[in-house]
Amino acid sequence: MKFTITREQLQEGLAAVAAAIPAKTTLPVLANVLVEASKQGGGLRLSGTDLDIAVSTTVPAEVDADGAVTLPAKKLIDIARELPSGPVRVTAAGEARVSIESGRSKFKLLGLPREEFPSFPAVKFEKAWKAAAGVVHKLVGHVAFAASTEESRPILNGVLWELRPDRMRMVATNGHRLAKMDVPATGGSTADLIVPPKALEQIRRLYAGDAEIELAKSDNHIGFRAGGTLVYSRLIEGPYPNYEQVIPRENDKQATVDKAAMAAALRRMSVVASDQTHRIRLAFAGGNVKFSVQTPDLGEAQDELAVTYEGEPLEIGFNAMYLLEILKYMPTDEVRITFKAPERAATIEPVGWNDPASYMALVMPLRLVD
Amino acid sequence: MSVVARARVQLLAGNVADQIAAGEVVERPASVVKELVENALDAGPQTVRVELEDGGKTLIRVSDDGAGMDREDARLALQRHATSKIRTAADLIGVATFGFRGEALPAIASVSRFELETCGDGDAATRIRVTGGRVESEAESVRQRGTTVTVRGLFYNTPARRKFLRATATETRAAVEALTVLALTRPDVAFALTSDGRGLLDCPPAARLIDRVGALWGAELAETLLAVSHRAGPLEVTGFAQRPAQARPAGRKGYVFVRGRPIRDPFILRAAEAGYRSTIAPGDRPSLLLFLELPGDAVDVNVHPTKLEARFRDKFFVEKVVEEAVREALAPLDSAAPLGGAGFQVSGAWFQTEGSAHAASGIPLDLFGARSLTPDTRHQTPLLQVFETYILFQADQGVAIVDQHSAHERVLYEDVMRQLSGDGAPAQRLLLPLTLDFAPAELDAIEAHRELLARIGYEIEPFSGRSIVVHTAPNPHPRFEAARCLQELVADLAGGRFGGWQNRLERFAATYACRAAIKAGQTLEADEMRQLIVRLLSATLPAHDVHGRPSMVQLPKEELERRFGRT
Ligand SMILES: Nc1ncnc2c1ncn2[C@@H]1O[C@H](COP(=O)(O)OP(=O)(O)O)[C@@H](O)[C@H]1O
Ligand SMILES: [Mg+2]
Repeated sequence: MKFTITREQLQEGLAAVAAAIPAKTTLPVLANVLVEASKQGGGLRLSGTDLDIAVSTTVPAEVDADGAVTLPAKKLIDIARELPSGPVRVTAAGEARVSIESGRSKFKLLGLPREEFPSFPAVKFEKAWKAAAGVVHKLVGHVAFAASTEESRPILNGVLWELRPDRMRMVATNGHRLAKMDVPATGGSTADLIVPPKALEQIRRLYAGDAEIELAKSDNHIGFRAGGTLVYSRLIEGPYPNYEQVIPRENDKQATVDKAAMAAALRRMSVVASDQTHRIRLAFAGGNVKFSVQTPDLGEAQDELAVTYEGEPLEIGFNAMYLLEILKYMPTDEVRITFKAPERAATIEPVGWNDPASYMALVMPLRLVD
Repeated sequence: MSVVARARVQLLAGNVADQIAAGEVVERPASVVKELVENALDAGPQTVRVELEDGGKTLIRVSDDGAGMDREDARLALQRHATSKIRTAADLIGVATFGFRGEALPAIASVSRFELETCGDGDAATRIRVTGGRVESEAESVRQRGTTVTVRGLFYNTPARRKFLRATATETRAAVEALTVLALTRPDVAFALTSDGRGLLDCPPAARLIDRVGALWGAELAETLLAVSHRAGPLEVTGFAQRPAQARPAGRKGYVFVRGRPIRDPFILRAAEAGYRSTIAPGDRPSLLLFLELPGDAVDVNVHPTKLEARFRDKFFVEKVVEEAVREALAPLDSAAPLGGAGFQVSGAWFQTEGSAHAASGIPLDLFGARSLTPDTRHQTPLLQVFETYILFQADQGVAIVDQHSAHERVLYEDVMRQLSGDGAPAQRLLLPLTLDFAPAELDAIEAHRELLARIGYEIEPFSGRSIVVHTAPNPHPRFEAARCLQELVADLAGGRFGGWQNRLERFAATYACRAAIKAGQTLEADEMRQLIVRLLSATLPAHDVHGRPSMVQLPKEELERRFGRT
């Protein structure tokens, strides 16, 4: 193997795969980056994986002799960073002894044979779906936070990605709160994918907003491709719970509130809410919402905010953290909250969002005790 | 008139009365040792020596270097009800000496070949020999200040009693124990015991009680003890209580002293054990040394000739205060076991827990910055998670090492106990109710504990057949697995796997806490660690988990200094 590459291009390629390489691993080869040089391919392919997710990218290079080897990712990144700007010549003497030269700097690195590197899932892109990266970023950015972090229901650890002929939708929930966003689409076909949030994060990081992403699935993997960069991930096996059924349609009370004022009041209440449950109480009536919190052994607090409220007076308990988190992702200054009863789901939506997408979040209340 | 001649009432001959008294006071060699050593201690000695031959069956000799007696007193001391320690009945109230009944010497002398050799200050020494209660000889002798009593052939003249003496080893053990108890009352006095020429006990005078404990049972035991010091009204309780994690099911030391006098009182020990509630494994018995000080008129020690019982004016008050005293000893953070051979630090204010006995006073206050949700830019004590199981941080006088699971268990347990008796926990309503299957015995357990389950946050409804639906669940931390916690909790409830715990609520709370707590091996975010530590430090018993293990150990700064040769 023998190739020449600019230090900048090497750095760029390494930066793309670095995030997929685990910091700690029991399988030594996973700490390495797979380097493949191919005259025909016209450059260099760099790949890294933690076995859940794999990232692979191509960068232009002048290849004199084909070959492949794996090299310790951290060392290679450090070397690329410290080298002066200019061409870098890389030669593999034997399978795993690699020399790197630039100007008068010379390095020899020991790698591992490429055979030890895990192979990538066989995902075929022939019949791939296509989506604008900017749209995918928006979906991920507003929905993925709601996925579950506990491990007993693996399905809820994923984000549901529904592809339909006329729309794309993402949904995530941990069983206590849910986020859902739809965007119009054209010409797609139908599929339900349950994707780990980690993979979606990689997509947000790697693909520029104006890129077009191709996505394709095999039996239990999904692949994303844009430019020369590929992301593979394990899919979580479904079916996803029937979330439509739990989205309330009969909420007959609604409040329109200023997002920033509401968040500020919630944060003030949280100071004396229990660290464990963050329980606060909201009482809506007339043009007002009263906040209150009482925590044994700690203290209590009250606050009040003017709102537009329609419906019978209502008292309801929430985990303040859940509300604050949802407010953070709401894209407008005003939000609408709807209720049915103290034990039923509340919904939160943006008000006056000038966007083709539609967005809503849902949060289950806490039991109140009097 | 009856055929049987009516016996006339007569005063008993003195030596018969002595033998009857001996029946009460002198049961075996150990009781002789006890009486003679008590006499020695009442005489203000620096050293008390005991010699035994054949477990005391052949010979018991107790010598002291106390005040001694002159000839006249020595003669009197051998008569019944002769005592120098009280004069009137009023003196009995609050009597400070071990002796006061004036019975022991004549009683012992009536059932043995007895010799008293004594010398007071500036007097000539006296030797009196008594056999079976009859004075054989009285002579001048030569010895230094102090008294030696030699008892040979115990029960030689009462064969019925002699027959009841046990094997030499057993009698020796009992005698050593009798001396041990008294050695605990006076750490300032040196004690030694030899048995057939072999030294079995040797305690130099000690400035601190804990050093006496170390001399009697070894530093290893001493290092497991926590200082007790508590006062409530007229009663002061001091001494030592063993760290719950270091208690074992067998071999515990349990001693109670009232006004410096050893007494046997299982109720006081039981009250002390109640102070360990929620911190100790079922079946483990902690070692306890408790010294109760209270005004002389609040307790009567003259209940039994052996003076091993005490009658309190307000027994329930005493038991309550003893329980509090033990609980208080377990409360501070420095009740956590220290690492290394740092030894016992009676006043080792490791976390500086003065002021409020519990918790947080000594912790750098900036740990509490995390309580508010607004980002806090103040410097905070760094927390380090290691092995995804332990949390380390620097405290005032050392490094605290917290087990994240045990610590969270302790925190949840105290929360749950409050919730079970109070309002109940906030329960998170579920968007997607859980449907779970259980075995018949488990369904029974759910039915029986329905109310308690609701209070901790699980609202459950029968579904169909063996299924139930869960509508609400607790939410103690982001990794909490509501379904699994419920399944494990119900399995425990159905299996009755609760050891010997008394209280159903406590069992329930401990089981829930164990199942719901963060597990070992879970990576914690910095904020989560901080919250856990803050909550642990405000728990009432932060250093002990709910299964009799520590939730925290301390690496004292002193120990580091010792290891790096900085002292
Ligand atoms: N070792 C001793 N040193 C000095 N005086 C002693 C000693 N042993 C006994 N006596 C004296 O003998 C008395 C009688 O002892 P005893 O029969 O044990 O009765 P008590 O201890 O109840 O007074 C004591 O009150 C004390 O004055
Ligand atoms: Mg006496």
